Amino acid sequence: MSTAASLHQRRKRKNGVMMTLCVAAAGIGLAWLALILGALLYKGLSGVNLAVFTEMTPPPGDAGGLLNAIYGSIVMTIIGIIVGTPIGVLAGTYMAEYGRFSKLTTVVRFINDILLSAPSIIIGLFVYELMVRPMGHFSAIAGAVALAILVIPVVVRTTEDMLNLVPNALREAGTAIGAPRWVVIRSVAYRAAMSGIVTGILLAIARISGETAPLLFTALNNQFWSSNLNAPMASLPVTIFQFALSPYEEWQQLAWTGALIITLTVLALSIFARSLTGRREDK
Amino acid sequence: MSQMLSPDMTIAAEAVAKAKIEVKNLNFYYGQSKALKDITLSLPERSVTAFIGPSGCGKSTLLRVFNRIYELYPKQTAEGQVLLDGQNVLDRSQDLNLLRTKIGMVFQKPTPFPMSIYENIAFGVRLYEKISKAEMDGRVEQALKRAALWTEVKDKLNASGLSLSGGQQQRLCIARTVAVKPEVILLDEPASALDPLSTAKIEELIDELQADYTIVIVTHNMQQAARVSKQTAFMYLGELVEFDKTEKIFTSPREKRTQDYITGRFG
Repeated sequence: MSTAASLHQRRKRKNGVMMTLCVAAAGIGLAWLALILGALLYKGLSGVNLAVFTEMTPPPGDAGGLLNAIYGSIVMTIIGIIVGTPIGVLAGTYMAEYGRFSKLTTVVRFINDILLSAPSIIIGLFVYELMVRPMGHFSAIAGAVALAILVIPVVVRTTEDMLNLVPNALREAGTAIGAPRWVVIRSVAYRAAMSGIVTGILLAIARISGETAPLLFTALNNQFWSSNLNAPMASLPVTIFQFALSPYEEWQQLAWTGALIITLTVLALSIFARSLTGRREDK
Repeated sequence: MSQMLSPDMTIAAEAVAKAKIEVKNLNFYYGQSKALKDITLSLPERSVTAFIGPSGCGKSTLLRVFNRIYELYPKQTAEGQVLLDGQNVLDRSQDLNLLRTKIGMVFQKPTPFPMSIYENIAFGVRLYEKISKAEMDGRVEQALKRAALWTEVKDKLNASGLSLSGGQQQRLCIARTVAVKPEVILLDEPASALDPLSTAKIEELIDELQADYTIVIVTHNMQQAARVSKQTAFMYLGELVEFDKTEKIFTSPREKRTQDYITGRFG
């Protein structure tokens, strides 16, 4: 009886120690996030004004905005998503549906996982060799291609995972009613996995909208307004990179503001993505 | 002796009506392992046949051969013949999608599609028929009435099929199956995930449906088999042990193994 009680006491103590460690670890992780967000808000918010969204990036020592960089980021992100999403969704569909039992799927999944964790600067160099050098100049389209290559593995992974979560019974039911395979995939599997697939795409947008390295080698940067896809184009991350390292106070302020804009955008996308998955779990 | 008797007994059960499905020397393999051993039986038209037996005896496997749903998975093979109105459905030339419109299937767990109640039923109909909105409304209503679900859902046809209770979902699945006008309905333990009240409703429904459809039901539940079926097949370890009129199987089975199973001595 006494041994049981002492065992119980010992377990309670151990539990207390572990619990404290876990809470501390979680606290440390969250503290950094709070500090970063706090610093961004503190330094960035003071620079937010109408000019940020209506004026071009200024020469050193002048006031200006980030319009061309915001525009460039949006354009290249959109093209990257438009190019990368269909490839990613189709590849994920092959892996989860048509090629579920094939060797090829195992190989593709392995390679995709490598691509998923590849440093983005490598992707930038790859596109530099593939497009920038043969074309002879930096261009927005090369930047968009680099972003698309970053989108693909994220979307492949989430699409495959989400389709794998669709119960086989549902596929069997669709098949048993006489629907051909592609109809079962389109009308049953996609519908059941929709919120998860969309979440993956949103996360891919969040990922590429903050990428700097792949754009440095491809879209470069542009001080001026340019909507020419065949020419260098500004983007928020590269502008932040350039301005933050500069000695000019106006540029540094704009870098903070740009960082705040990206962070809030990514935050909003993540919250939206979470709300989509959350709704699915409610059902 | 029993070997000699069995053909006569099969014919006796068959004499009730013309055979809708005839299974001849059917073997089935999961990879290397043999799951069905030389099954031969014939299922009469517009009548309920039950497959009973302990888990893993091959009753669901046999059911899944009839509409060739097993072909969704690799390494599952069937050899022998399954004749639907004299046509071998295992023929390579058999169009699988058309076969499955003739042989509907309802599964153990309710599987409503992730769409509205109305769309759940219209989905299958739309695959093979081009009909007007008014006709479709009629078909949906008819199918839901047939599955005894109409009064419960008629005011919320646009609600998600997933919002229904388990028993209602299962009746929705039956309605969906009936809506495409099949000739045969396969039920794979349709009530095992349901409460007793829903089970009773499903059983009532099966009883009504046999006027128009050939029904095959796989069940763990022997009382259920006794209640709903006209003939019962007892399977054990991939073999068809005994197939006869249900009352015969449950009152005076020929085989000792059948006797042991229905009296609860094993399984």
